[in-house]
Amino acid sequence: MTERRSLNLKLVMSVFAAFALSLAFTWLLHDRLSEHDAYALIDRTFENVEDEIIDCVNERLVRQCMAVRERLCEGHPDDTASLQELADEMRVTEISVADNTGEIVASSVPDYLARDGKPAFNFVTAGGKAEDMMCLVNGRETEYCQPFRSNTANGAWRKFVGVWLPAGGFVEIGCDGESLRALSRASIVDLFRNWRVGGTGGIVVTTMSGLVISDYEEPNREGSQWTDPDGTFYWKRREIESFPVYVMIPKSSAAVERDVLVGATAALNGASLVFVALLVGFVISSFVRRQMGEQAAKELKTAKDIQLSALPNVFPPFPDETRFDIWASMETAKEVGGDFYDFCFTSADRVLFLVADVSGKGVPAAMFMMRAKTLIKSAAQTGRPLAQVFEEANEALSDGNASNTFVTVWAGELNIRTGLVSYVNAGHNPPVVRLGGKCEYLKTKPSLVLGAMSGIGYRVGEVQLAPGDAIYLYTDGITEQPNASGELYGDARLLETVSACRGRRAELLDAVLADVSRHAAGVEQEDDRTQLVIRYRGEPDSVVREYAPTMDDLAKASADLAVALGSVPEKFRNQLLVAADEIFANIVRYSGATRWSLSVETTRHPDGVRLVFVDDGKPFDPLAHRDPDTTLSAADREIGGLGILIVKKTMSPVTYKRRNGQNILTMGKDYGN
Amino acid sequence: MEINTTREGNTLTIAVSGRVDTVTAPELEAGLKFGDSSRVVIDLSNVPYMSSAGLRLLLAAHKTMLANGGRMEVANVQSAVREVLDITGFSDILNLV
Repeated sequence: MTERRSLNLKLVMSVFAAFALSLAFTWLLHDRLSEHDAYALIDRTFENVEDEIIDCVNERLVRQCMAVRERLCEGHPDDTASLQELADEMRVTEISVADNTGEIVASSVPDYLARDGKPAFNFVTAGGKAEDMMCLVNGRETEYCQPFRSNTANGAWRKFVGVWLPAGGFVEIGCDGESLRALSRASIVDLFRNWRVGGTGGIVVTTMSGLVISDYEEPNREGSQWTDPDGTFYWKRREIESFPVYVMIPKSSAAVERDVLVGATAALNGASLVFVALLVGFVISSFVRRQMGEQAAKELKTAKDIQLSALPNVFPPFPDETRFDIWASMETAKEVGGDFYDFCFTSADRVLFLVADVSGKGVPAAMFMMRAKTLIKSAAQTGRPLAQVFEEANEALSDGNASNTFVTVWAGELNIRTGLVSYVNAGHNPPVVRLGGKCEYLKTKPSLVLGAMSGIGYRVGEVQLAPGDAIYLYTDGITEQPNASGELYGDARLLETVSACRGRRAELLDAVLADVSRHAAGVEQEDDRTQLVIRYRGEPDSVVREYAPTMDDLAKASADLAVALGSVPEKFRNQLLVAADEIFANIVRYSGATRWSLSVETTRHPDGVRLVFVDDGKPFDPLAHRDPDTTLSAADREIGGLGILIVKKTMSPVTYKRRNGQNILTMGKDYGN
Repeated sequence: MEINTTREGNTLTIAVSGRVDTVTAPELEAGLKFGDSSRVVIDLSNVPYMSSAGLRLLLAAHKTMLANGGRMEVANVQSAVREVLDITGFSDILNLV
């Protein structure tokens, strides 16, 4: 049991370890995967965001540039100071006008103009990206935007946007970061307000100094100070067109997928592992149980079989014996106990009978029981007095009895001529005696149990049985059977049941067992239930007559029998006469006997008759004869065998023996109790 | 054993007195002569018991009557005889009245 439990525990633990390991691996894998996925999403988002911002800013600045061009075309003066005024008004950093050659002809920035012998800024000759603006001159484009970047000329950060002039040349505005943000801020805010990244992530745009322009989480946070996101976000920051842009994804949101996956994996793995564990556990434990159970059951059954086979179990054991009858039964409990009963002739006219109960249970008790049984029987069969039998058995059993096992025995020896019973009670329950129809416990002071200690003497008691009297022995498996409320069957109930049963002896044993079971009402049998009943019937009146195998002698036997059965009630007498006639006819007609005899034995208590037919003819066992078919129609009916059928149906008991070259058939009838 | 036979029209009544067994069966066998009677009644009111020797005779007589297109009835069966007829299944074959 303990082994199996620790096996189960190990099994569960290793399964759990495997489960945890696989789960941790899954979690780690999905954690990495979700982080990787989050940054990939952030990068992809930035591509879009960058395009959107550039488009948005470009559009806004082109509009601004057009407004500047409109003002100039309306005749706004184009000297440096005026252009600076216009630039301030239009919230741009600088304004320049170039002609078709790319030379700046007017600008708010004096450095761009020809001065002190230095030529004017020329988009063609200036190098770098400036020349790109010339697309506005050759008619390929009407507007052109450069990205926000460090100016090659003076290192300042500018974004230049130009629009073409229908009269030739183009107008260019340049915006620093501040100007850029001031102009396009509103468009940016609109752009990102409802932009979500990965479900719960989003975009935050700030100023260079970290003031919030647009915050997806808190739309009204504009102007407050921004700090970089904490560890609960996957995030990146990029500056696009002078705007610091944060793309952020809460880790919890990114982890949702991971958690769902890990959860699902856990559930699936868990379920399958539990299933596998249960299956394996079940298979192993049932295998082990079967192995152990089969072994134990086999041993138990063998022990029981040995125990039971050691007891006489053919009833009636002495079918020809008319002076007494004896019945015994043992109903074993689940566990092997140490009950036994026994009986045997110890001399021609004395019968020993006993019931015993070994202390303890199991195979040791069964082995002790075998020893005790053998010792008592072998000592008794030498014809020694009962007290001496017990003293010898006790010496042998208590010698080296380290386990202190002992056995209680009630043994009686019936003189079948006189009906006197000598008995010894070695610590056993008192038997019930039926004397003259009245039942009572035979209570005498018991001697010590057998096997407890050596040097013990055993008292012998005596009880005189008259024909019809009986002694009923039992073990405490009967009287101590509890019911559900713990109440024992008890001596009173047993005495009542034994008193009430006036039927045949075998029926008494069944009646007691039935009543004990009824009392137990489903409570499991804990102990062997062993019973024995012996009834003294006394010497029969016997008349034996010999006959010749002739019809004349058959008629004589028939007449003799009718006389012998004169006092038998008519119903039984008729049955006996019919049955006898069948046997007479068989012997005289078919047996080939040279002589035959009939003895008529009448018994008392119960009243009954035994007819014993002896012939020296050929062996013929009527009981082995197959019964004829009694359902055939008249035309198909054969007459043979009907006589034997009638005998078997009307007589009980019927026994057959072949002995010394003679057929001995005994049949009879009990018609009283 | 006593056997009294009376005829009334085509009906033959055979009244048997005494036990029927191996010893008395030959006597009964001799008494069971039906002639051309189409109906035979065997009255067993005074037969205390009957062994299979008697059954054999009843069966033979019953078969004879059947073969001749007649009918045999067995009347006033006593309990011991009835038991034997029941055990052997003869109650189902014979016409018990």
